[in-house]
Amino acid sequence: MLEDINFLLIREIISSVLIIIGVMFMLISTIGLLRFPDFYIRMSAITKGATLGLGLILSGMGIYFNEPDMFLKVVLIIGFTFLTSPVAAHVIGRTAVRNKIPFWDRTNLDEFKDYLHKEHNVHRDHERDNKQV
Amino acid sequence: MKTFIIHFLIAFFGSYIYFEYGQPMFPYNAIWAVVVAVFIMFILWLTTPSYHRSYFHKLPKAISFIVYFLKELVVANLKVAYDILTPNYRMKPTVIALPLAASTDMEITLLSGIITLTPGSLSIDVSADRKVLYVHTLYIKHNDLELAKQTIKHGFERRLLQLTR
Amino acid sequence: MSFFSFTLIFAMAALSLCLIMTGIRFAIGPSLPDRITAFDLFVANVIGIVAIYTELTGNEDFIDVAIILSLFGFLGSISFAYYLMKSTR
Repeated sequence: MLEDINFLLIREIISSVLIIIGVMFMLISTIGLLRFPDFYIRMSAITKGATLGLGLILSGMGIYFNEPDMFLKVVLIIGFTFLTSPVAAHVIGRTAVRNKIPFWDRTNLDEFKDYLHKEHNVHRDHERDNKQV
Repeated sequence: MKTFIIHFLIAFFGSYIYFEYGQPMFPYNAIWAVVVAVFIMFILWLTTPSYHRSYFHKLPKAISFIVYFLKELVVANLKVAYDILTPNYRMKPTVIALPLAASTDMEITLLSGIITLTPGSLSIDVSADRKVLYVHTLYIKHNDLELAKQTIKHGFERRLLQLTR
Repeated sequence: MSFFSFTLIFAMAALSLCLIMTGIRFAIGPSLPDRITAFDLFVANVIGIVAIYTELTGNEDFIDVAIILSLFGFLGSISFAYYLMKSTR
């Protein structure tokens, strides 16, 4: 009974479905990267879609190869991406705020005004210090 | 938390070594590898009341937290995908100031990492006195900022604090 | 040609399209953080292409490239951001 099933075919089907879904997520994120109007919206919407798509593609590959070595490497790559992607997004976002990258004009900034004011004043202090030196 | 990471590593490498160097009684595939790893973790979990009592109650909550997080990840991704593929923007981007109940470094790091990993929200900075986390979100229901804050606080922060405290 | 290799070739073509569109954003990005974001997505796309190429040819050596790339892409974007933060202050 168990020998009749073609396991290779089942693995290929599962792997194809995972890869198609992952590629779709990546394609959608890339279209969004071109379409969205503002740096922060692109940042918060896009990088995570790419991370999820990458995870799906890699797990599809791990299921297709079906070896312990490959499984270990796939889990390593997925772990690295899921650890490092939010840190990179956070650092780039904070750098953008410090560099006065403008927000979209429909963004509601009511609760953020104090922070922006303080942050930009710090910048002005630094510029003045540099001039004096 | 530390115990969970150590147990996870032991289970993962135990399953790897069993299938690579041992004589496994099952044919190797992804399902059996996961089953063996979960079995090793279950055995380790049964031994915990002797040296780390609170871990015994925390592991089911941790599993439910991971499942909830994966569900949020997929749902938010689909929401953003719908917004990308249709011509009109439905989003109202807002920067909200989220008052933090988490106090230590590790809690704040985990919380901001999880918020950033959910699509549609990006944690920008922590204020200098570590009381407020500034989060850039895309979707606000009915223009109600308090409701959005309560959603994040009851969804992610409450579950995270149950685990770390 | 089986449906499986058709799927893989379709995925490869879609990811190449992703690379081209990311390159457009890299070229027209109005500010430097936009370009760093595009670079991040670029690295993710290349990892995906390496994975699908490994599956298409069955040569398992290339997957090590993806591990190294997933670490060094992070280092690249972090160092860009750090340079940007230092250069304006």
